[in-house]
Amino acid sequence: METVLDVVVAGLLLGGIFALISIGLSLQYGVARVLNVAHGEFIMIGAFVTWVLFEAGVNPLISLMIVGPGAFIIGFILYQAMFNYIRIKAPSLDAFEGNSILAAFGLLFVIQYIALIIWGSNIHGYTYLASPIHLGTVTVATNRLVTLGFTVVISVIFYIFLALTRLGKAIRAAAQDPATAGLMGVNIKRVLAICFGFGALMAGVAGVLLSMCYPINASMGLHYTIIAIVVVVLGGMGSIVGSFIGGFILGIVGSIVTYFDPGLSMVAYYLIFIILLLVRPKGIMGK
Amino acid sequence: MWKIIKKYALPLSICLILLLTVIPGCGDEEEEPAVTVPVVTEPEVTEPEVTEPELAPGQPDDYYTRENIVIGGSRPLTGANSIWEEVGFGPIYKMWIEQVNADGGLYIEEYGRKLPIVYKDYIYDDTSDIATMTRQLERLMTVDKVDFCLPPASTASLFAAAPIFNKYEYILLGAEGGATTIMDMLPALPYFFGTLNYSDRYQIPVFADLCLELGIEEVAMIWIQDLHGIEYSGVAGVEFANAGVEVVMSKSVPPDVSDVSLLLLEAQDSGADALCMFAYPDQNFLIIGTMIGMGINFDAILVGPGGNIAAMPGIFGPNIEGLMFEGAWNTKSAPGAQEFYDLFTSYYDPGIGDWWGHILYWGGLQFFEQAIVEAGTLDQSVIRDLMATKTYDTVLGPTWFDIFGDGGGLLAIECHAGEIGQWQSGVPEVIDPPNIYGAKRTAPPIYPKPDWPVAE
Repeated sequence: METVLDVVVAGLLLGGIFALISIGLSLQYGVARVLNVAHGEFIMIGAFVTWVLFEAGVNPLISLMIVGPGAFIIGFILYQAMFNYIRIKAPSLDAFEGNSILAAFGLLFVIQYIALIIWGSNIHGYTYLASPIHLGTVTVATNRLVTLGFTVVISVIFYIFLALTRLGKAIRAAAQDPATAGLMGVNIKRVLAICFGFGALMAGVAGVLLSMCYPINASMGLHYTIIAIVVVVLGGMGSIVGSFIGGFILGIVGSIVTYFDPGLSMVAYYLIFIILLLVRPKGIMGK
Repeated sequence: MWKIIKKYALPLSICLILLLTVIPGCGDEEEEPAVTVPVVTEPEVTEPEVTEPELAPGQPDDYYTRENIVIGGSRPLTGANSIWEEVGFGPIYKMWIEQVNADGGLYIEEYGRKLPIVYKDYIYDDTSDIATMTRQLERLMTVDKVDFCLPPASTASLFAAAPIFNKYEYILLGAEGGATTIMDMLPALPYFFGTLNYSDRYQIPVFADLCLELGIEEVAMIWIQDLHGIEYSGVAGVEFANAGVEVVMSKSVPPDVSDVSLLLLEAQDSGADALCMFAYPDQNFLIIGTMIGMGINFDAILVGPGGNIAAMPGIFGPNIEGLMFEGAWNTKSAPGAQEFYDLFTSYYDPGIGDWWGHILYWGGLQFFEQAIVEAGTLDQSVIRDLMATKTYDTVLGPTWFDIFGDGGGLLAIECHAGEIGQWQSGVPEVIDPPNIYGAKRTAPPIYPKPDWPVAE
């Protein structure tokens, strides 16, 4: 029984991290239609900025307040300056999606190389909230628990924001049918840029929280992008709830497989991915 | 706002460009009248033929034209292995070349002068990809025809590169990486000279002896699923069995492992006295961080690559106390270690130091330099023969290679500056058992490892 609990708790903690890194990409792809393969680079930048601030004596949880808005502004400007231009020039939505992936690849390399120039390729990190918490018979690391807590809180806030606010409704309308939403008075260009900005914000926040649990380096981004893509497809494009659930499913499955053979965890992720594409291509919460 | 920027940015930019183009043209000088220049046909001049003096016997064909020695390399400037270019062999070869050039270059007798080293245009980025690396090496040796070639980084890359160096008869002075599998091939690789110590030369045998000394009876191992992990766990299995140490857990992890908490709980439940991490820095740091976070501790913890980097205290703070690492050297464990450390820190931030390979790479390059100078030629086969037979004084003391048959060699164990290190009060100490392999111990080991400090 104790082992089962350990596996489930480890899965939930890992799933929290997966959900956190995926929600932003879900917004960017599901609504703004940009498969932002540079998503992981925003996570990396968020992690590095937190590390730099930590070295300067700033608490990582305070860094959330700096990194999040900063990433939003960068994401917003990026969409306005680059992706919006590509969108206007593209003859169709399919062409836009294709062109935006290419642009995002370029962005990936630009951000990564800038990070390499600034911080080099060495591994960095710091120790924060690295102490055990005993929950009955289960022991967990405080920083992992804090990450899980933030994931849940942020996801709930985002869900409420999308469900109840005027801007949230505009975002959902834009995700469903941008042309019609535009005719109904939604400023599509602004809404899509805000969505992309929110995606970058989520990636930045994920970077802050990940840096508390994992070592960081300038090449770390792509690994997280791949996981995020798997989770987004699993949960359904543009669905915050789907990414949330998808992250936890992947985390728990990964945990169970790791218990038996850690080497098979990535195999399990891709197996789920393939099965889902065959059985339910729109994802768990996709419409 | 966006509209305003778009509305004014373009005209403003055009105005700015026009202004910048016009301003240099404005001046006080009077405009020169247009002049018709008569076409002057210059008389044909027959330039005197410059004939180089004839070459004396034994002088190379490029005796008069050679200006430098060209060193090339396929190195991981980006990608997963790029850390080694930054904190591994990278800073060492750059510092060596700068030192050589500051002295005017290497004196090559057959040229009768010192030749400086150029390298920057011939260091290609292998993007941490072995296939790219092998293609680039072929290019360096057949198209660029560099004089010497630097080693690639990582065990797997060395393994792939060794036959290429051998085929084109280039000396491969190995740096990051080493493998028993290469050792098996050495009799057929006369141009291979490995400097780094590794699993069975002689880190794991020394660690097994240390286990005997400290009374460690049961060990858990976590290893990465690649050549490095397979080799270290395999050698450990043999050495631990020989030492009577039981392996109670042996689990592998993929390079992109995201969570190791369950593995660590299993290792804890196994009752092991020691935990060995035979993985790379990404995985090893994740394991250490998770252990600290979950309060899982062992009487001894051996950290693989990454545990040796000088950035460890900055990342884990006081938690590093008592962590053992593969390596190892410090300023007391070799005759010229303090001098080398002072030189290194005069060039670089001490934070990029490496308490495993740096001193061995430096010693290897000093050895290589002396062999080239003594050979008095850039002919690799002559240099190779000297490297295989000579002993030179380096930062490591008297230095030589153990040669395998008629083939290549590995730095002799007597020249190593230590095999196993331990962080003690923020300083790396060598803790090899004192009675073996040249008595390199600089401090007694801390055993059992203290508990993780309580987080603030």
